[in-house]
Amino acid sequence: MPREIITLQLGQCGNQIGMEFWKQLCAEHGISPEGILEEYATEGTDRKDVFFYQADDEHYIPRAVLLDLEPRVINTIMNSPYANLYNPENIYLSKHGGGAGNNWASGYTQAERLYEEVFDIIDREADGSDSLEGFVICHSIAGGTGSGMGSYILERLNDRFPKKLIQTYSVFPNLDEISDVVVQPYNSLLTLKRLTQNTDCVVVLDNTALHRIAAERLHMENPSFMQINQLVSTVMSTSTTTLRYPGYMNNDLIGLIASLIPTPRLHYLMTGYTPLTTDSQVASVRKTTVLDVMRRLLQPKNMMVSTPVHRQANHCYISILNIIQGEVDPTQVHKSLQRIRERKLAQFIPWGPASIQVALSRKSPYIQTAHRVSGLMLANHTSISSLFERTLRQYDKLRKREAFMDQFKKESIFKDNLDEFDSSREVLQQLVDEYQAATGPDYLSWGTQQATSTSGERI
Amino acid sequence: MSGKNISDFGQPTILLQRLCTKVTGLSNEAAVPYLHHALRIVSSNIISSTESDEFQVAEKIKRKLVRRGREKDAAIFSELHRKLQSQGLLKNRWAILHLLMTLSEDSTSDSSKVSGRSAVFGFGLPAYTTSTPFNPAYRPPQQTPGTTVNLSQLSAGNTTGSSGISSIHSDVHSGDPTPVPYSFMPSTVFTPANVDRGDKGLGIRLASVRADQTKGQVKTPVTSISVHRGDNTSFEIPESELLKDIVFVFQGIEGNWIKFDASKNGYQIDPLAGIPNAVRQHIRKLAECGWLYNKIQNYVEAKSVDKTFGLVGQSFCAALQQELTEYYRLIAVLEAQLLQDEDQGIGLGHSGLTLRKLVVWMFDPLIRLKTLAALVDICKGKKGGALASSIYSYMQHGDPYIKSLIKHILTMIAQPIYARLLRWMYDGELEDTHDEFFVAADPTVKNDRLWHDKYSIRKFMIPTFILTDQAKKILLTGKSINFLRQVCQDRTPTKGREIAMATDNHQGHWMFTQDTSNEFQQSIDQVYKETSQHLLDVLHTKYKFMDHLKAMRRYLLLGQGDFIRHLMDLLGTDLAKPASSVYLHNLTGILETAIRATNAQFDDSDILKRLDVRLLEISPGDTGWDVFSLDYHVDGPIRTVFTPESMIIYLRVFNFLWRAKRMEYILASVWKNQMCNARLLKAIPELSSILHQCHLLGCEMFHFVQQVQYYISFEVLECSWHELLTKVKDAKDLDFIIAAHQVFQDTIISRCLLDEKSQGILTQLRTIFDLIIDFQCKQDLFFDAATVELEARQKFEKLQKQRTKEGDWGLSEQEENEEMRRRRDFLKTIIPSNRAQMVILAQSYQNMVQQFLKMLTIHQDVSLRFLSFRLDFNEHYKAKDLKQRMSLTGQKGQQI
Repeated sequence: MPREIITLQLGQCGNQIGMEFWKQLCAEHGISPEGILEEYATEGTDRKDVFFYQADDEHYIPRAVLLDLEPRVINTIMNSPYANLYNPENIYLSKHGGGAGNNWASGYTQAERLYEEVFDIIDREADGSDSLEGFVICHSIAGGTGSGMGSYILERLNDRFPKKLIQTYSVFPNLDEISDVVVQPYNSLLTLKRLTQNTDCVVVLDNTALHRIAAERLHMENPSFMQINQLVSTVMSTSTTTLRYPGYMNNDLIGLIASLIPTPRLHYLMTGYTPLTTDSQVASVRKTTVLDVMRRLLQPKNMMVSTPVHRQANHCYISILNIIQGEVDPTQVHKSLQRIRERKLAQFIPWGPASIQVALSRKSPYIQTAHRVSGLMLANHTSISSLFERTLRQYDKLRKREAFMDQFKKESIFKDNLDEFDSSREVLQQLVDEYQAATGPDYLSWGTQQATSTSGERI
Repeated sequence: MSGKNISDFGQPTILLQRLCTKVTGLSNEAAVPYLHHALRIVSSNIISSTESDEFQVAEKIKRKLVRRGREKDAAIFSELHRKLQSQGLLKNRWAILHLLMTLSEDSTSDSSKVSGRSAVFGFGLPAYTTSTPFNPAYRPPQQTPGTTVNLSQLSAGNTTGSSGISSIHSDVHSGDPTPVPYSFMPSTVFTPANVDRGDKGLGIRLASVRADQTKGQVKTPVTSISVHRGDNTSFEIPESELLKDIVFVFQGIEGNWIKFDASKNGYQIDPLAGIPNAVRQHIRKLAECGWLYNKIQNYVEAKSVDKTFGLVGQSFCAALQQELTEYYRLIAVLEAQLLQDEDQGIGLGHSGLTLRKLVVWMFDPLIRLKTLAALVDICKGKKGGALASSIYSYMQHGDPYIKSLIKHILTMIAQPIYARLLRWMYDGELEDTHDEFFVAADPTVKNDRLWHDKYSIRKFMIPTFILTDQAKKILLTGKSINFLRQVCQDRTPTKGREIAMATDNHQGHWMFTQDTSNEFQQSIDQVYKETSQHLLDVLHTKYKFMDHLKAMRRYLLLGQGDFIRHLMDLLGTDLAKPASSVYLHNLTGILETAIRATNAQFDDSDILKRLDVRLLEISPGDTGWDVFSLDYHVDGPIRTVFTPESMIIYLRVFNFLWRAKRMEYILASVWKNQMCNARLLKAIPELSSILHQCHLLGCEMFHFVQQVQYYISFEVLECSWHELLTKVKDAKDLDFIIAAHQVFQDTIISRCLLDEKSQGILTQLRTIFDLIIDFQCKQDLFFDAATVELEARQKFEKLQKQRTKEGDWGLSEQEENEEMRRRRDFLKTIIPSNRAQMVILAQSYQNMVQQFLKMLTIHQDVSLRFLSFRLDFNEHYKAKDLKQRMSLTGQKGQQI
């Protein structure tokens, strides 16, 4: 079974969105919570083996590894109807169960300690696939386990599987609320360094935007995590539909993300989804067409990343991939693209060819939706850098005061010095700079200056 | 003494005899000539009864006397007449007066007038006339000349032309309660439906005639007898002779006086014969019948024995023959009449046959003959449908009489056509030994080309009353039946076949009466619909047409992405070899593996069985990539849609798509390499600029290939596939599907730049693809070199660390120098050379793409603009082009 993808779920947030993701996949493929193919789904032409494998008794088992340092979320999963879905050997719960205390360093150090056990599971899972395409990691960057343990695992995965893709679904913290995790900026910064250096693609799931969308678009006063996570699982499942329903194009992860990512570091993708209304009444008065969907996907309010609008900053799209599902008349695609270009709805990079890619994907026949057409956008947009700038600013504020540094210093990685912070900051600053450079035509020669300046320093 | 007392036959003659002897005072013997004379007068009286007014006759006599200067006698006559009137002894005063007047005239007028009258009697009593001519000096031995004209004038004047027929009828067929159609009547026998239309005139005439008959001859008016003299002949031929002649001529036989003149191609009357001009004219007119008859008869005779003339021709002959039979019947009646006239002589008087009567009677038959002859003319050399067309062209004739005649003939002719048509449409059988049906079959065509080549339409054999559209439907229906029977092995009879075969044989006229009824159209449509639908059903259910079509898309058009991806992964090493060392059996094994490993395994085993590998023709220098192709075996009925030619097209498209797909995968691996190496080579910061360059070039290429792929996917495959599916779903017959499939393939071929117009562009695209492969090789080499350098550095550092750890002096100077030299070498030679190569590559690639875009914009096919639109969505190349041109104009100034 070629091109398999192993999903790693890390920490509280990672496991929560992972659980929703598998729920969604099971529903779409007609697999029962116990992993048994429903009777109505036996004739399907969908491709299940990318994300599932079949046990000897033909049960479908997700290629998923569940990791956490505290038992709460995993216990919830084990008490849910989906308890028997997962391979119990793939669920790893730290024995002392104390969690990482929202401390990146703690998570990182613990992961270091658990390296053997964790990678036993991952290796076994990787060996169980014929030609592994890569890993998908679900985590949050602000907590302790997802960020710290995630960072460590990312580094190790790179060493162990240098030729495999690593894609993450990274949840960025909600900045509208005052978080109980005060060290969020530290955690984020340190994680972002790994995300920049050790992954091929990061799908940014911004909790700020997700909450805003839930509140504004879905009219929820206080959206629960569960509801937010449903949004996330929708994004995750839709972005993988072309892998699960093979067609002419985008049948593997690399084909999907390679065209979106021009240079190795500019690999942070924003997502947008429409229509998000759960109201069936709205659906009854609205006629969703390809153009509608594509136009709405370009509207900031549908983006799942909250980026402040800098008019002067010339932010632009590096690439766009729209995955359109539903009853689509393929002749409409060209017309929609034409309209978008005429109206200049999307601003593109000035240094190279770029366009809106459109993938038509089949929809699961087992799930009824109120909308004829729905769409997911995966976009590489330079304005994502504002998220990093924000992180940098917050980090700088904390760092200036040396606030909450004690708990970090306790861990081995920061025992001697705080260089890791500085290098992380440098990496992130460079990323921001590169995104900034990518807004102008000089990006073509960007590396050259960089190289001469850095090489000059070093030699 | 009354001329009207004809019924009492013997009486008047005896009375006349007595009268004669009395008046002349001669003996019985000596008075015979006078008796004859008297008889003639009497008989002539019968028809000269127009002036049955006593007063008029009396006035006439008076005037006559006055004219001759016998005023006195006139006064005496009027006195006497007055007395006679007042006495009232005589009842038939006007008759007596008339008799006296004629007697007085007779004695005074010349002999020709006398002979005219004698002829009347002579007609009835030939025995007398021949034995005892009244006036031997003027009289020709056989007959009195000129009288025929007289008589016919009389009959024409008194009664309608057909009164003669009616008398014949009453004499010949007097016992018959219903009038058997005796005349040259149209369509009465074969098309009862036509009776009231075609026969109306005649029927009415008949009725009126019969009414006349019953009333008796009482009111037959008297006409003045004008006597003609043969102007230019020394003697005149009696009318009966001419009549005999003309009746012969009617049958195409030459008479005594009327001969066929081959030089003038017509019947000529003997110019020396004693026939007055007027008569000649009549005869000429009548002789036309003979000429026409000959023509028709000759045609019928010639064609009836012609074996190649076909059924339609034969039925045309039969129709003509039928008409001729009618005509014969008429002639028989005429002959009978002639004979009867001869037998019965004077007694029948007015009922005798005359030329004039004949002219009138022959009026309709002549038209009929003329029409038939015209048909014969236009049908010369034609047969089958063409013949029917020719005849049909006469259907628009304004004369309902002719129209009904044509219709009758057409009905006969249409019958074999219709019967054949039914056989064809219901059973698919073509019994057409004479090539006259408008569907032609080529027996040499094999079953797999049956649909395409076996049956065709003979355009000139389509009867004009069958529209081209209908003809096509008919062809299609029969073809479908044959296809079902022979190729699909399906023998289900068409619904309604039994009923149709049982009843429809006589509905031939539906075909050419389409302007008034649409039954024919309906019945054709019905059968066409049933058959075509059945055929489609069989194709869809038994032969799984849709499944095969989808399989084509999944495998030959790379729709089954996961399978294609895996197949390409597995084939990679094999296909990189030169084409000559690629072995089919290896590839088939790999194909099997790819099927087993991907979703293709869930496909129908029948479809998978058909999937195969094929190597295209090898030309020198080809690698496996160039010659590899998937193949799909088709057989049976679906081969009609997926013909070998169209399979070749599929293979060509496959080759193109496969190439484009390969580019996509090459670039994916290039990208993957870049990502990995970017992480690894971070350690050598000097590389970052060249890496960035590679990234950007790779990204540009990826964009290009990806856009080409999207274009193929949407503008080429999805759209035309969508269209094809809709068309197939709505298809009414197999031709529809074939056409839709054809359009589908054509669209793909032209949009994939595979048609001839796009050869230049395709070459350009291939060059771009080659550059991409080139780029991959160069980058791989570069990465290899960089990796070697990296490993060397790592080794060096490791050694350094180790030594330091061990407490040694780091490294020897020599080692250090070597390290430095290697590094310098790497920086000074490998990086710049690779960089230069990359720059050149990038430059030529960009030029190629720009050129490609230009070629696209000037291409005739507008749909290719979609591709250039996609490739330059953000107008990067356009801006670049503009910039280049600006700089060029800037440099060259007014040169441009």
